[in-house]
Amino acid sequence: MKKLKRKKLNGGAVVNENGSATREPECGKKQKLAEIQQALIRDPVDIETLRRAAATKGGLLTDELRRKVWPKLLNINVYDLPHKPGRDVRENHKDYNQVVLDVRRSMKRFPKGMPATERAALQEQLIDMILEILKRNPQLHYYQGYHDVAVTLLLVVGERMAIAMLDKLSNYHLRDFMDPTMDSTKHILNYLMPILEQVDLELHDFMIRAEVGTIFALSWLITWYGHVLPEFKHTLRLYDFFLASHPLMPIYLAATIVLHREKKVKQTECDMAMVHHLLSQIPQDLPYELLIGQAQELFEQYPPSLLAKRAALQSCKSLSISTFQAFQRSTLHQRPDCVLQRLTKAQGSTTSSHAVQHTGLEAALPGERGQLWGKGNRMVKMAVWGLSATLGAAVLAVAQTAMEWGPEVLLQLF
Amino acid sequence: MAESGSSLELSSSLTSSTLPPPRTRIFKIIVIGDSGVGKTCLTYRFCAGKFPEKTEATIGVDFRERLVEIDGETIKIQLWDTAGQERFRKSMVQHYYRNVHAVVFVYDMTNAASFRSLPAWIEECKQHALGTEVPRILVGNKCDLQDSIQVGTDVAQQFADAHSMPLFETSAKNPNSQGDGNCRNSDHVEAIFMTVAHKLKSQKPLVLSQPPEGSGGTINLSRGRDDGGDGARSWSCSSC
Repeated sequence: MKKLKRKKLNGGAVVNENGSATREPECGKKQKLAEIQQALIRDPVDIETLRRAAATKGGLLTDELRRKVWPKLLNINVYDLPHKPGRDVRENHKDYNQVVLDVRRSMKRFPKGMPATERAALQEQLIDMILEILKRNPQLHYYQGYHDVAVTLLLVVGERMAIAMLDKLSNYHLRDFMDPTMDSTKHILNYLMPILEQVDLELHDFMIRAEVGTIFALSWLITWYGHVLPEFKHTLRLYDFFLASHPLMPIYLAATIVLHREKKVKQTECDMAMVHHLLSQIPQDLPYELLIGQAQELFEQYPPSLLAKRAALQSCKSLSISTFQAFQRSTLHQRPDCVLQRLTKAQGSTTSSHAVQHTGLEAALPGERGQLWGKGNRMVKMAVWGLSATLGAAVLAVAQTAMEWGPEVLLQLF
Repeated sequence: MAESGSSLELSSSLTSSTLPPPRTRIFKIIVIGDSGVGKTCLTYRFCAGKFPEKTEATIGVDFRERLVEIDGETIKIQLWDTAGQERFRKSMVQHYYRNVHAVVFVYDMTNAASFRSLPAWIEECKQHALGTEVPRILVGNKCDLQDSIQVGTDVAQQFADAHSMPLFETSAKNPNSQGDGNCRNSDHVEAIFMTVAHKLKSQKPLVLSQPPEGSGGTINLSRGRDDGGDGARSWSCSSC
C-alpha cells in the first residue's frame, strides 16, 4: 500500500526532457560547481546538465550561479533584457489596486536585516514589474500569490532579468493560474488526490472522508511555496527544482509533503477543519532534499498522463501542460553567454523589450526581432528571420522542429 | 512568531482546562469581505488574543479556532478567514460555506469601495444557501483612522438595518501603537465574536456584558439597532 515509504530515496535524481527522473550518483559540491560552469560554456548550452544540477542535492548552490543558470532554464538571453518599466506602467490597470495592496503588505518576503528604505524601493520595483507583465500580456490575470513568485525572482536576479523570467514563467509554468477564473488552477489541484491514492490508499480515503479538499495546497501551488516557507533559502531550493521541472511538479511535491506527514494526518480528527488546518501548516523542519527526490520518483512512476487516465480527470485544458514539451525543446539550442554577448552587441540590439515574450527562437536569434514582432503574417516573419539572421542554419533547424510539432505549437511559439 | 500566518490559536483563557469535554459544540463562522479590509487581523486577534505584527494576503482559506466558555458550556469557535480577491471567492471558497453557522461581513471604513461591495458578498452567501436565518453581522474595521473615514456610521447603520444585521465599528490595530494605550479596543474585537457565539448558543437577542473599559478611546462599538422595526428577525448587541 505504501510503495513510496518502502522505497529508498536515491541520492540524487535528475529531470530529463520529459520531466522524469533518472538516477545519478551524488557528487560533491565542488564537482557540481565545475559541472555547472562547464555546462554553461558548452555550445549549445548543456541544458540537461543544468536541469539535473537544479534538481539534485543542493540545487544551484549559490545566488551567483542562479543568476547564470535560471535564465538558461527559461531560455532567456541575459544580454537582451527588457527595459525597466516606465512611469506609465501604473496607469489604468484594473489590477493596480490589488497589486499595490498585496505588495505593500508582503514584508515577510524580504530579508530580515534589510533597511526599510531599501525594502520599500524593492516593493515599488515589484509593483512595476508585475504591472509590466500584465500590460504586456493582456490575456494574463493577476492573482494574489503572484507577487510571492515575483519577489523571489526579484531578490535573486534583479529587476530586468526578473521581468524577463516572470514573463516567461507566466506564459508557461504559471499560465493556468492566470486565467480569468481559477477553474484551471482547480484542475491542477485535482491531480493531488490521485497521486495519494496510488501511494497510500488509506491516507487518501481518510482525507476523502474528512472532505478536506485540496485548498490547503493552493498557496503552495500558485506561489511555488514562496508564500508559506519561512526560510528564503528553502524557497530558492524549490525554485531551482521547479524551474527545471514539469509545471505539475509542485503538485507532486505537495503529495510528498502530505505523505511525509501521513501519521499525523491519520491521528487527527477526521474532520475538514482539523485536517485542513494540519495540512496547511508547513512544518519548519521538512527534509527538502528527500522530498524533492521523492517527488521526482512519484513523477516518474505516476506521470500526469497516467493520473489523468486513472482518475478520470476531465480532458485537460491546461495550457501549462500542453505547452511544456515545446517549451522544453525551445531551451535546447541556446548559445553560451560569451557568444550571446558578442552576437547581441554585434547586432546592436540590447533593447528589444518585446523579445522575452517569445519562446524558441530568441536565443538563437539576437537581432532585430523587436521590430519584426509587428503585425503581419507569422510565417512571413519566420522566413524573414531565416534570411536575415546570422545564425541561419540554427534558426532553420529550430523552425523545422517547430513545424513538426504542428500548427498549435507553432501558434503558441509565435 | 507573532505573525498572522495561520497558526492554530487555541486559547483556553476562559476555561479551566485545555482539554475540551468530549462533546464540545463547534460554531463555524466564515469571515468575508474585500481584500485588505482586515479579516486576517480580526480573526487572529480573536483567536490568538493579540494583534498580529503584520498580515499578508490570504491565499485561499485560513482557519483559526478558539475555545470559549459561555454560560458554563465550553464551545469551540472556528473562524474561516477567506481570501478577498474575487477570483478566489468564485471558485475556491465555496467549499467552506458549507455548514457555516454564522457569517461576519467586514468592510474597511476608510475605503468606500469595500462598503459598496457588501451587496455582492451578501448575494454570494445567498447563492450558497445561507439564508437570513443564519446569523450575520457587519463589521466596519479601521475606525481608528478617523481622518480618512469614508463610510459614515449613519450610512453603515442604515445598510445594516436594511439587512437585519447588527453593526460593529472597530479597529483590529494594536492599541499600543497608538497614543492612547488604554483604549482597550481588543475587548471590542472580543465582543464581536462573543456576540455571535452568544447568538448562536441562544438564538435569541442578548446583551453582551463585555466591560467597555477606557471607552473614551477612539474605538466605537456601536449599538445594535434597538428601535423595533422588524425586530423579530433582527438581533442586537449593546456593550457600551
